[in-house]
Amino acid sequence: MNAAPAPGPGPLPYTDTKPQGSADFYFAINATFRFLLRRLGREGWIRYLADLGRDYYAPVNARWREGGLPAVAAYWRAFWAAEPGGEVEVVAAADRVELHVKVCPLIRHLRAQGRSPVAEFCQHCYHLGQARAAAAGLALRLQGGDGACVHLYAPAAAGLPPQDLRAIRENAP
Amino acid sequence: MIGCYDFCGHYEWTFGWLERAGGHALVRAYWDEAINQDSQAHARDLITAEGIPGMLKYWGHTLAEESPDLGFTISHGPDVFRLDFHQCPSRGFVLRNGLDQYRDYCDHCMGWIGPMMRTCGYVIDHEHNHRGQCWWEIRPAGTPGGHAPAGSVAGAKDARLQPDWPGPAARLHRFIKATDPDTKTP
Repeated sequence: MNAAPAPGPGPLPYTDTKPQGSADFYFAINATFRFLLRRLGREGWIRYLADLGRDYYAPVNARWREGGLPAVAAYWRAFWAAEPGGEVEVVAAADRVELHVKVCPLIRHLRAQGRSPVAEFCQHCYHLGQARAAAAGLALRLQGGDGACVHLYAPAAAGLPPQDLRAIRENAP
Repeated sequence: MIGCYDFCGHYEWTFGWLERAGGHALVRAYWDEAINQDSQAHARDLITAEGIPGMLKYWGHTLAEESPDLGFTISHGPDVFRLDFHQCPSRGFVLRNGLDQYRDYCDHCMGWIGPMMRTCGYVIDHEHNHRGQCWWEIRPAGTPGGHAPAGSVAGAKDARLQPDWPGPAARLHRFIKATDPDTKTP
């Protein structure tokens, strides 16, 4: 196993030759969660997400740590532009960055294709995102879910109230 | 959110994580249960119902989405379906981005397509060079013999006839009438 590679020049650490990804890969993300939850339980799934956030996303986390909230906003604008079918507004302020997800492309595609997201699906954004944020000296709070939600990134020192996981809706079958 | 744009990157990372968490058996189970039986269930249903015409529909759609610059070709006959990858979009993403968390990324294809074809009643001849080039011939289970001669199904599009095959210092893996990712040679 090698160390994480050096990030590319743009906001996204890993780049493809096409401008957007293939939405059918959302099937595999959902299936990966279902497999991990069945085989390793909820704690194993959360451990996977936290490790993924710290390790695979290490180049992004380093940029966030160095660039602060403007780097967070730049990353998410580039991220959502590369995901097909979403409707998301990135709102940057001096003390926070908010992602207003009006249409989650992942939930939308799964539902449109007759696939059922795992019930815990929307909590993955918190467990993954909080691991990434913490590595960058930030904090993430999330509310909503099942296709529409708001992500809030702020410096860890801002002292946001703890995440209430009940504020993240489970996904209807 | 985990995105689809860099899917091949976190997919490759996941193989390494699973191997550390549960060994090779967990990686094999992931490819079969999560990818074959869940994510790609539409492929299995199509091929079970339609056979080789179903393979044409599935890979025609999937590869056009994943590889719009058409770094692959599809060939077929009455009893054979063939894919030649000259520039695999998936392996290419991993190589271009310097990602190397799992010892053999290319195994994932046989890891899910193998069990799917076993269920559907087919066997696979396959070689990959770990550099983004590979070929697949899928025939009904029970078909005897080894690999067909280069060019006999795909003509000049056969990956084995390309100037970069297998490539300098390439590590070539070979499967003969297989459906199991652990039956590769050498």
